[in-house]
Amino acid sequence: MNYILHLLIMIGIYMILSYGLNLVVGFGGLLSLCHAVFYGIGAYACTLLMMKCGLPFLPAILLTILITGICALIVGFPALRFRGDSFVIVTLGFQMIVFTVLYNWVDLTRGPYGIPGIPRPVIAGYEFTTLPEYLIIVWTFLILIAVVLFIIYKSPFGLALKALRDNEMAAEGLGKSPVHLFLYAFVISGMTASVAGGLYATYVTYIDPTSFTLDESIFLLTVLLVGGTGNRIGPFVGTVFMILLPEALRFLGMPDAVAANARQMIYGLTLILLMFFRPQGIAGKYMVR
Amino acid sequence: MTLLLQLILNGIVNAAIYSLLAVGFGLVYRSLRFFYIAFGAVYIVASYAVFALANMAGLPLLVSIILGLLIGAISGVVMDKSVYLPLEKRSASTGVLFIASLGIYILVVNLVALFFGNEVKILSMGIEPSFSIGTLVVTRMQVVQFFVGWIVVIGFWFIIRKNNLMKGIWAMGETPDLVVVLGLPYKFMRMLVFALSSVFAGIASLLTALDVGIDPHVGMHALLTGAVAVLVGGVDVYRGWIGGAVLLAVLQSIAVWQFSARWNDLITFGILIITLLFRPQGLFSPKRRREER
Repeated sequence: MNYILHLLIMIGIYMILSYGLNLVVGFGGLLSLCHAVFYGIGAYACTLLMMKCGLPFLPAILLTILITGICALIVGFPALRFRGDSFVIVTLGFQMIVFTVLYNWVDLTRGPYGIPGIPRPVIAGYEFTTLPEYLIIVWTFLILIAVVLFIIYKSPFGLALKALRDNEMAAEGLGKSPVHLFLYAFVISGMTASVAGGLYATYVTYIDPTSFTLDESIFLLTVLLVGGTGNRIGPFVGTVFMILLPEALRFLGMPDAVAANARQMIYGLTLILLMFFRPQGIAGKYMVR
Repeated sequence: MTLLLQLILNGIVNAAIYSLLAVGFGLVYRSLRFFYIAFGAVYIVASYAVFALANMAGLPLLVSIILGLLIGAISGVVMDKSVYLPLEKRSASTGVLFIASLGIYILVVNLVALFFGNEVKILSMGIEPSFSIGTLVVTRMQVVQFFVGWIVVIGFWFIIRKNNLMKGIWAMGETPDLVVVLGLPYKFMRMLVFALSSVFAGIASLLTALDVGIDPHVGMHALLTGAVAVLVGGVDVYRGWIGGAVLLAVLQSIAVWQFSARWNDLITFGILIITLLFRPQGLFSPKRRREER
């Protein structure tokens, strides 16, 4: 039972991440390889605000969102001057830079030692410690964020993003500024990722920089591409598929040493096959360009 | 002062390896115009092939190196034939090729890890003899790296300067459709590009692996080094790839001198982002007119 609850919590956290990334990848049409940056910054900011400044959970999360938003602005402003391959490699560059900083700024982040003993969230005097309680808090945040994102997807802003994705020059001619709109989308996506980071940090109560590497960014992009981008169902399908797949392998009785590599191999193979047979993902609408 | 000279010397040796990586990545990136992440996979395939042949099957090192490079080249060509070429025929976008390439990278790296394990494999045993020039110290492996790397890279430069096939490959990057119209052997040129790129990756990987060993996850770093060198120096000119590689290696050495080796990634990608922002065509490319782009 606890095992299923754990899986549901992880699915909740990854759904927040992939719905946020969907705004950039699916609606903006930009392959971003630095989503784990905002996930990581969120986790570290929330942890440090709670442990060093002694803030309660909710104010800490709000401040985290603000801090990550500013970081996303700093990253997005130069990165969004590029499209296509250049955008991919610039976001990849930021991913590597932020990881290096998290890993080596030992005074702030304790670097490779990680931060243990992160307190559980306390809301209105009630501490969320057990798994069912934690499930409630994660899915509450997920539903809140999903509602906001679904409104954004349908809003004139979301439609303008789609227009820019499909034909940037034409949309610009209609007065939709790619500079502003892509930047807003990037910042919103970063902010949602930071909430997931805060939830993750308080859930596992230990974080270190290796949770937020380039591999994690690639994994998040894979989740989204497998599920499909540019609509509301795609990220859900992708997250459920990618989180449950390794667990299915575990039931097949694979030894752990083999299972990790076998899982990765299946991810790789899935990506190749998808590009051949269904470039828009299992449930997606938009084909990556 | 001795330390700085020593570090610059190390930088020049590293530059030879970085140039190999840059040429390997640049060949594909310049002529097919997609971000070739599977380069990182080819990089480890060659070294692991040599490891399997020399250390497990017991073949002489020289024979296994030649066979290893061949296996690397074949693996690169097979990747193209099985994935990129079919995708290209469906006129797939660069994004799709990038993702498929990422898929290949993940698949191959984990396949290798499954067979050989995730830990570092050592190709050559024993302590490398070292020489001293004045106050500077170089190991035998560094001498080999320096000469092999620079001879291959500069030799290749002379070969491609007057070679019509190479001009065709260069033209493939500008207008791929026209290549077929002109009757140039499109498929053969593609094969050649992938084979050459894999050989360059293989040489670089062997030169590194014989020195410090290899593990399945170093491919990504090699790929990124090559890619950053190409993009910093300029995609369109061969001298840019070399220039980018030398610049990167020397700056990393100076960074080690000033700060610490841990901040190397920061330097590498900092240079990349700053270059792309302020000189998107690369440091060594001539400025192109707007209508040429």
